[in-house]
Amino acid sequence: MARHAVPDLLPGTLDLLILRTLQTEPMHGWAISERIQQISEDVLQITQGSLYPALHRLEHQGWIEAEWKVSELGRRAKYYRLTATGRRQLAVEAGEWERMAGAIGRVMKLA
Amino acid sequence: MNLSDLKLRLRALIARRRVERELDDELAFHIECETRKHIAAGVDPAEARARARARFGSPALVADECRDARGTAFVDSSARDVLYAFRALRRAPLAALTIIVTLGLGLGLVAVVFTFYNAIFLRADAVRNPAELFEARRAVSPGVTRVWVTLTRHDYDALRSDTDVFTHAAAMLPGIEARIEGRALDGTLVTRNFFQMVGAGAALGRPLQAADDERHAGRPVVVLSHRGWTKLFGNDSAVIGRPLVLNGVRTEIIGVMPPGFRGLAVSPPDFWAPLDLLDQFRQAMAGKEDAVAIEVVGRLKPGVSSEAATARLTAWASANPAMQEVNGRPKSMFLKPRQGTASVDLLDGLRRLAPLFFAFGLILLIGCANVANLLLARGIARQREIGVRLSLGASRMRIIRQLLTESLLLALAAAVCGFVILRLALNAGTYAAVNTLAPALAEQVSVAASAADWRVGVFLLCGAIVSTAFFGLVPALQATRPELVRTMRGEVTRDARPSRARNALIAVQVGASAALCICAAVFLRSALAAASVEPGLRTSDTVLVEIANESTRAAMLQAVNTDPAVAAVAASWPHGVGGENAVAKGWATLPVEHKFVSPEYFGLLDIHVVQGRVFTPQERSPGAGVAVVSQREARRLWPDRNAVGQVMELEAFERRGPARPGDEASTPQLPFRAFTVVGVVRDAWIGLGMFERIDAGVYLPISAQSPGTSLTLRVHGDPDQASRGLMERLAKVDPAIGGIGTMRAIAGRAAFILQTVFWLTAVLGILALVLTVSGLFSVLSYVVAQRSKEIGVRMALGARPRDIARLVLSQSARPVGAGLAVGALLAGSVATVLMATRAASGIAEIVHTFDAVAYAASLFCIVAACALAAWVPAMRAARIDPVATLRQD
Repeated sequence: MARHAVPDLLPGTLDLLILRTLQTEPMHGWAISERIQQISEDVLQITQGSLYPALHRLEHQGWIEAEWKVSELGRRAKYYRLTATGRRQLAVEAGEWERMAGAIGRVMKLA
Repeated sequence: MNLSDLKLRLRALIARRRVERELDDELAFHIECETRKHIAAGVDPAEARARARARFGSPALVADECRDARGTAFVDSSARDVLYAFRALRRAPLAALTIIVTLGLGLGLVAVVFTFYNAIFLRADAVRNPAELFEARRAVSPGVTRVWVTLTRHDYDALRSDTDVFTHAAAMLPGIEARIEGRALDGTLVTRNFFQMVGAGAALGRPLQAADDERHAGRPVVVLSHRGWTKLFGNDSAVIGRPLVLNGVRTEIIGVMPPGFRGLAVSPPDFWAPLDLLDQFRQAMAGKEDAVAIEVVGRLKPGVSSEAATARLTAWASANPAMQEVNGRPKSMFLKPRQGTASVDLLDGLRRLAPLFFAFGLILLIGCANVANLLLARGIARQREIGVRLSLGASRMRIIRQLLTESLLLALAAAVCGFVILRLALNAGTYAAVNTLAPALAEQVSVAASAADWRVGVFLLCGAIVSTAFFGLVPALQATRPELVRTMRGEVTRDARPSRARNALIAVQVGASAALCICAAVFLRSALAAASVEPGLRTSDTVLVEIANESTRAAMLQAVNTDPAVAAVAASWPHGVGGENAVAKGWATLPVEHKFVSPEYFGLLDIHVVQGRVFTPQERSPGAGVAVVSQREARRLWPDRNAVGQVMELEAFERRGPARPGDEASTPQLPFRAFTVVGVVRDAWIGLGMFERIDAGVYLPISAQSPGTSLTLRVHGDPDQASRGLMERLAKVDPAIGGIGTMRAIAGRAAFILQTVFWLTAVLGILALVLTVSGLFSVLSYVVAQRSKEIGVRMALGARPRDIARLVLSQSARPVGAGLAVGALLAGSVATVLMATRAASGIAEIVHTFDAVAYAASLFCIVAACALAAWVPAMRAARIDPVATLRQD
């Protein structure tokens, strides 16, 4: 699985990005990838295929749930939504990330 | 695993098709969205689709990873792997068959050893919950379990009434001999609750019951084992209620036990009779029941640990005044598990059978190496197929799993084949044992043959799985090496040939078969050496006859003396080879064995006179005051002077062991007097090593009319035939005739263990060699076929056929050489370890572990066989037509 991940993405980061993206509203897979790319101003380009195993894994962990709904294209699409546990997990992971990024940032400035 | 996970997994398993469709839809939807985005940006539709796909990656691979994420992939893909494996095997049925038979042979042979282990130590017979059975023993002193003090009937009665650690406790006394029409029967006396204790029911009639005392007052009863029933009545179902006269006791048959039931012994006795009949079976024991050693076996109460039971029994023993103290040490008891028929625990049993497991396991190892080599070769043949699958994005793990599934399927089929081979081997073993001189072994083999139960099946299954790891893993790793993908793409790689693994496998095979062949050769040479040693007495035409009833002695003597088959008659006591213990006081005071013999004894057994004379025909009683000593004893008793003419006193030892009926009154007694040595004779012995039996060192005269003596006969012609004829004729004189046996059989028993070991290792060695040679042959043939183009180029460039043949031969030389070295080392070290064990101490002086001739001969055999195996492919290579090979492709 590792070889399909974006090399620049730290391990576990994709999960965090997905959870964060889903925080605002339920979305289908393509929309998630587009959103990540847009907001990161094309810095984070995900090999789109690698998104789905991650989504399925998160679904199994109970952090997101899926629902089939008719999409804007008029076709049925699978929409993912953050669950209550997912929300808690996101808070934990985001906090971790902040701590980590802050620490790295400080080291970069001072070292 | 949480709830949502479980829900999703279940859904994936139950509604698999729907989940699969949804996955496809989801991925297709993504690509559709991406395509539309590109089209909206003004890209040509075909180009847009291509870009969308490129960014997405392989949908099949993504789908596979999604399946992995949901955790049911394993089940799904295993099912597909099995189907795929079936197809792959069908494409190469011959290879599959070869693999199945090769592995089956190895598995079946290892299972043979396990079957013995199962039968003897796991007790695959009709005893209920054998793990609850324990033998109660009295320790010499607390904590010592190697030696113990025997329990008596009184101890047993006290234990039963005073303690409550057992739900049932029974006493038994095995080894009761009885004779019917000259046939020796082996019986076990048991308390009447014995069958209830082991939890076994009868096949016909009923077993002994506690109520037998009242119901059969004055009428003794007996229960036959299946073996005894077959032996005596030929499986006649109308035996219940029939009388059976055992040692003069008229008993009634009340039941026959089922064939699998063996009591608590490795092989069943012929009959079980109540312990109360002891005084009738052994008249000498009447009124002395408390002197007879019995075994006490009980079923531990549920919830009572063996430690707690030991403590309670020890407390009971200490408080029991009837138990005698031994040397003033505190009284204590211990429990010995009687789960196995042999009274050893499972691990100890495993250790005892380890050499067999090892030897038979080597065959399995060689088989695995053969199969691994075959799979390696097939892996290269399937290079293209595997390369395509790797290029299409299948992960290496996935393909390895698929290849291992194929191997496992083969191994399972081999396990079935192994079961068939197991049955064949056991039947052949029984046949061989019955038709050689090993009735005792035949018994054990047939016990094992009947005990092949579910445990053996489980063992075969586990063996199949373990051997899959042995033979399947290396080829699977080799076949999926990443270089292959590059080979597929046309890139040139250094070396895609798995020659190193192949050579290692050949070395393993050669090593294992060298080890087995060396062992076989060592044992063969030892057996030959043992056979060529002349026994110290005449065995070729000697028959031994016991006289069971003194009242018929005169008639028996008359019958023997007038029998046309008998050439000469001598009498002796004790029976057979060997004497009774006594203390001789000559120049030195030494323990010796003495024997009463009639004057004819020496001539009849070819025990030559070295000095002086033997007894004259007039000297027929110990009262004559003369003795003959053997050379060995003469040297011990009078180291510095001539033994002839010396005077010595003999004093009988106290007799050891339980006495037999009528022993005391009816055997020759040593008179209290001095004996003059009139002659020295050659030492007389039969057998070797631990089976060596030395005849007495001091002979005293006796006559055939003396009660207790047995007869030693020289017969005309074949002794077996003569003894059968004698048996028939003598049975007319006395139906309860004693035993008749040939000296040859007694001597043969000694050589027997060596012969068995030799035959076992020889058969295994030959099998190993055949497997190795066939493996080497197929590998080299394959290599030649694979390298035919290269060989063609070499020949086109001027290599002569001789060079090519040398090239092929040299390819096998290195692994074979390495294998030989490893094998010789293995054989040497294993033999050293084995001969150091206690079990081997008896044959240590016969077997020369480092027999240079045996080593050289077996190594030569293997080299020759390997050269032969390599020769054919080498010749084939030398005949390759360069033009034809270069035109191919």
